[in-house]
Amino acid sequence: MATDSLSNVAASTANISLGEHAATRTSALGEVAIKTEDVGVFYNEKSQALRNVSLTFHRGEVAALIGPSGCGKSTFLRCLNLMNLEIPHCRIVGSIHYHGSDIVNDKINMFDLRKSIGMVFQQPNPFRKSIYDNVALAISRHGMASSKADLDERVERALRAAVLWDEVKDDLNKSAYALSGGQQQRLCIARTLALDPDVLLMDEPCSALDPIATRAIEDTARSIADSGISVIIVTHNMQQAARVSDTTSFFYLGEMVETGPTERIFSNPSDDRLKGYISGQFG
Amino acid sequence: MAKLSAKKAAQQVKAQVAKASSPVASAEAAGLGVSAASVAGAVGAPTIDTQRIVAHVKKAGAQSKVATAILSVIAALICALLAAIVIYIIGSGAEKAFDIAFLTKPPSQFRAGGGIGPELFNSFYLLVLTLVISIPLSLGAAIFLVEYAPENWITNAIKTAIEVLSSLPSIVVGLFGFLLFVLQMNWGFSIMSGALALTMFNIPILVRVIQQALEAVPRDQRDAGLALGLTRWETTVHILLPCAMPAIITGVILSAGRVFGEAAALIYTAGQSAPALDFTSFDLSSPSCPWNVWRPAETLAVHIWKINSEGVVPDLTAVSNGTAAILVICILAFNLIARFVGRRLSRKLTAE
Ligand SMILES: Nc1ncnc2c1ncn2[C@@H]1O[C@H](COP(=O)(O)OP(=O)(O)OP(=O)(O)O)[C@@H](O)[C@H]1O
Ligand SMILES: [Mg+2]
Repeated sequence: MATDSLSNVAASTANISLGEHAATRTSALGEVAIKTEDVGVFYNEKSQALRNVSLTFHRGEVAALIGPSGCGKSTFLRCLNLMNLEIPHCRIVGSIHYHGSDIVNDKINMFDLRKSIGMVFQQPNPFRKSIYDNVALAISRHGMASSKADLDERVERALRAAVLWDEVKDDLNKSAYALSGGQQQRLCIARTLALDPDVLLMDEPCSALDPIATRAIEDTARSIADSGISVIIVTHNMQQAARVSDTTSFFYLGEMVETGPTERIFSNPSDDRLKGYISGQFG
Repeated sequence: MAKLSAKKAAQQVKAQVAKASSPVASAEAAGLGVSAASVAGAVGAPTIDTQRIVAHVKKAGAQSKVATAILSVIAALICALLAAIVIYIIGSGAEKAFDIAFLTKPPSQFRAGGGIGPELFNSFYLLVLTLVISIPLSLGAAIFLVEYAPENWITNAIKTAIEVLSSLPSIVVGLFGFLLFVLQMNWGFSIMSGALALTMFNIPILVRVIQQALEAVPRDQRDAGLALGLTRWETTVHILLPCAMPAIITGVILSAGRVFGEAAALIYTAGQSAPALDFTSFDLSSPSCPWNVWRPAETLAVHIWKINSEGVVPDLTAVSNGTAAILVICILAFNLIARFVGRRLSRKLTAE
């Protein structure tokens, strides 16, 4: 597996090649998974880090968020599972529609929300536990497993979905820190998939990884989306956006400037700032 | 060895500088009449002064050598001092300390040949009681301060209070305990009074240790837990505490050493008398029942103080030395156990 990803990487680094899925999938939009309206974020009363972002994400799709550093991509992502509320003084405005409720303004159960909107961070952050316990912990805390056998099965299913099972099945009791960076990141993906989410947020999940591991994560993201989950991925790597995503949204200075099918965004951008960003003038 | 590597580094720098400066040299050789510095500036390379770099490397090497030497001497002195004290104390008390009769017999009032049986038991009993009271309280306080407390003046006041408490002299804690527990609560000189005084003495240290252990857990572990929909409490209990546990255990055991050797806080709370203990008695109201928390209980450290200040037994020096040796051995044992348990636990909890 490692060798053929390597050749893929070599093939795709020459130019920005569109992912093979992009063309075929955009026509068949799934149902709406999560929809934001005029979302803004204040980290303090004086400055607004994000304003007026309205985006719709569909199940079965990979959506890429691109833009220069500091433009608010992570800030936006952290609104979707309300992780921003863990930051003191941070305030979200606007509305985010998810399963019929507005998670910003309605009283919702934040813990259930985060269970079904999973998040993978920039740096792999497995727990300091065994591989098995990394995946099993949240399953059992949420009371999802009816028995030990059920738990085992769920752990295995999650590890398979994250394309990690074959590499770790013989030493599930080993420390997660004995894994490579890419494997750790896939373990973190498995950990969230174990909770059967319908949205998966990934904040630059490959920034700490080499090209092979990156390709493995991308393939994983693709297969997760194909199973009906809405995957939203922040990336600095435009080739990555082109390879994996169906839609791409461009952020600039706290605003969402342009959004559309990935193919169109890269082949025919309309905003000048996006044109400049794609041609590598800044960012 | 340090000298050797410094020389090597100097040689490497020289070699690099020679490479870097060759275009400059050729420019000069061509007789262009510009200074080396301005040429280097024009091509965008930094000006390199070979001799200064070599001198700098040499100087840094020399400084490092001197610093290493001084620090090694200081470290050696500290070790030697510690070893001397320990060897002296254990050496002069060895005769008694390894005598089973001395360790089990009650002390005698006037004649030679008394032991320290009750004191030894009292010390451990008080320690265990103190830990049983102070660990849950400190754990709760530290978790609150690190994970829940909002950043405001109340939290800051609590943190300051804990720091002040930890710098109180133990005799002050003892006298406060005397006023509050012994007189006000009317508990008399008792194990309970002593254990609570020791708790006051121990809590600030434990809170500190646990706070630091929790703060040392990387932020991303918290984020990971919360992002999986776990509550703050679940995150703390199932993710943060296991990470922090080795440091916490080490801290608890080290603080136990301090509690075990404490005298001043106990003189006016647990008292200076050790009624003979009857280990067959389980009548919790009898003063000779070892488990009775309302009886006075002299500990090893208090015994050393008392025997030296008002002892009348003819072998008081030997008794004092033997007691001191036992005390030191126990505290050394705590330290070794702390290291061992901390390391084992760390390996177990993190599956590494
Ligand atoms: N916790 C925070 N407190 C205050 N300001 C913040 C915080 N996090 C982000 N910001 C500010 O919000 C703006 C957007 O930051 P954000 O992290 O969302 O950018 P980003 O697009 O993810 O950048 P990068 O690509 O570098 O990760 C920045 O100006 C940043 O300074
Ligand atoms: Mg970011």
